Amino acid sequence: MADRRHLALLAAFLTGVWPGSPSAAAPARVVSINLCTDELLVRLADPAQVASVTWLSTVSAGSNVADLVRGAPQNRGLAEEVVAARPDLVLAGRYTARAAVSVLKRIGVPVVEADAPRTLDQVKTEIRRVADAVGHSDRGEAMIAELERRLARPAPVRERSLRAAVLRPNGFTAGPGSLSDELMRRAGLVNVAAELKLDNYGQLPLETILLAGVDLLIVDGDRPGPPALATEVLSHPILAKLGDRVRVVKIPPKLWTCYGPSIADAYDILVDAAGSAP
Amino acid sequence: MSEAPPYGALVGALMALVVAAFVASVTVGYAAVDVGGAVADIFAGRSSLGALVLTELRLPRAIMGTLVGFSLGLAGAAMQGLLRNPLADAGVIGVSGAAAFGAVMAFYSGVSATFALALPIGGILGAGLAVALLYALAGRGSATMTLILAGVAINSLAGALTALALNLSLNPYAAMEVMFWLMGSLADRSLSHVQLAAPLLVVGWLMILASGPALDALTLGEDTAASLGFDLGRVRLLLICGTALAVGASVAVTGAIGFVGLVIPHLLRPLVGGRPGRLLLVSGLGGAALVLGADIGVRLVGVRPELKLGVVTALIGAPFFLVLLWRLRREA
Repeated sequence: MADRRHLALLAAFLTGVWPGSPSAAAPARVVSINLCTDELLVRLADPAQVASVTWLSTVSAGSNVADLVRGAPQNRGLAEEVVAARPDLVLAGRYTARAAVSVLKRIGVPVVEADAPRTLDQVKTEIRRVADAVGHSDRGEAMIAELERRLARPAPVRERSLRAAVLRPNGFTAGPGSLSDELMRRAGLVNVAAELKLDNYGQLPLETILLAGVDLLIVDGDRPGPPALATEVLSHPILAKLGDRVRVVKIPPKLWTCYGPSIADAYDILVDAAGSAP
Repeated sequence: MSEAPPYGALVGALMALVVAAFVASVTVGYAAVDVGGAVADIFAGRSSLGALVLTELRLPRAIMGTLVGFSLGLAGAAMQGLLRNPLADAGVIGVSGAAAFGAVMAFYSGVSATFALALPIGGILGAGLAVALLYALAGRGSATMTLILAGVAINSLAGALTALALNLSLNPYAAMEVMFWLMGSLADRSLSHVQLAAPLLVVGWLMILASGPALDALTLGEDTAASLGFDLGRVRLLLICGTALAVGASVAVTGAIGFVGLVIPHLLRPLVGGRPGRLLLVSGLGGAALVLGADIGVRLVGVRPELKLGVVTALIGAPFFLVLLWRLRREA
């Protein structure tokens, strides 16, 4: 990161072009090896800059940009593929494809690592980071402004806030200190997982969640994905029998797994749910 | 062996143990439920949250634990009788692993999503194939070494194929789910799982229990058993098919829970005077009590994500297995 900035400054000094202006400092070939940086790369860079994205981005169940990446070369996050693509810049996630990232750094390929944001402020930081790296800071600021505009939608006012819990595959839930938690609170919901001594993302047994008294159960939207035991908990017969005691709200995971414009779509669903009966 | 307690009393005591473990399993959970109130709600037809948790989460879990434990204990005793080898256990010799592979094929190919019975059938085919193979390789009381080696080969092959199938399945949770199939768990099993497995399990139990008298006769040698009027071919077929049904359908819904069929028959054998026919029923009951107890244990220790059941049974079973090997070596 720091090295790259120094390089950019050096280049700016030698060429007399300041890195703020696009295209001059913009890398010509960018490879992304993380689903979330894929989305930002495709949305913020020029199509010609995209050297390859992960195969995950092409699967529409998990990707917001499946239509946009059609035709772009795919990678599976392996160092060998990345090197073969001769990139000027590699976008990676801080927690994924670690082996590939360490190899790339060792052989001197410039790598920008995006963090997994836990707050909306950090989301903006990551968008800025990627936008600056691909040489389109202005597009990054526009994306942030649009996100801020949509997230400014006020939470519904009601006597008693609804109590909600997120139920993800394998019984994972979103606890305090997660981006999902911040969006829920912003939408005027009480996150029940916060009362259950749970940080960040953790697993909770179904009966704990249900007996904690929830009004809303936020589950993944219908996903036609391959069969997995992990998703069986989301179709447990007890959820169908809860009747009007607990309402099930569906949010497709791709809307708020990553940190792009789509988190505003997830926020809209949350605000609608927070304002609805009972 | 003269100190063996009366058979009826032993069966009665084990049944009482299973009932107590069952009640404890329904009572113990992650969240406090007013069990009395919930039971009253169930009988009054009120679907309170407590009643729902009891009938949809805790009861299926306890029933499944009982069924699977009974199946594994019974199958262990049956295989030890069939192979005439004290180290035969569905987990140790690869039958559970093969069953898991069969179930994995049915589940991740998507077949079981359209045809639910495909899941237990996949498990049964896998288990049946493994038992038949083992019998061909190591049947008729051949050396322990042959049986264990054959088991090791089948186990590692089945484990590798399971991992391969999961890795090819495009399922993002595959790595975690290999653990379920290799270690087993009762977490979040529902009544639909019980309905799916129970009929097949009961058929398997009946087949095994029906061969009890023949197993007793076989202790006198094959010729004597045949002269007593037992059709040995039919007995073997019953035991192989019964084991396949019991282990295959169990593993298909809970994954492979190891060592139950090894530990329980060994503990109970002296109590039935070493008669393999009588060992069958009591091993089933003992297995049910062990699995229910282990499942109560994983919920009480409070480790999250929940420990897999096979971790607990292996912690008990693997040292037991080593002690057995030690003793066999000394006797040899």
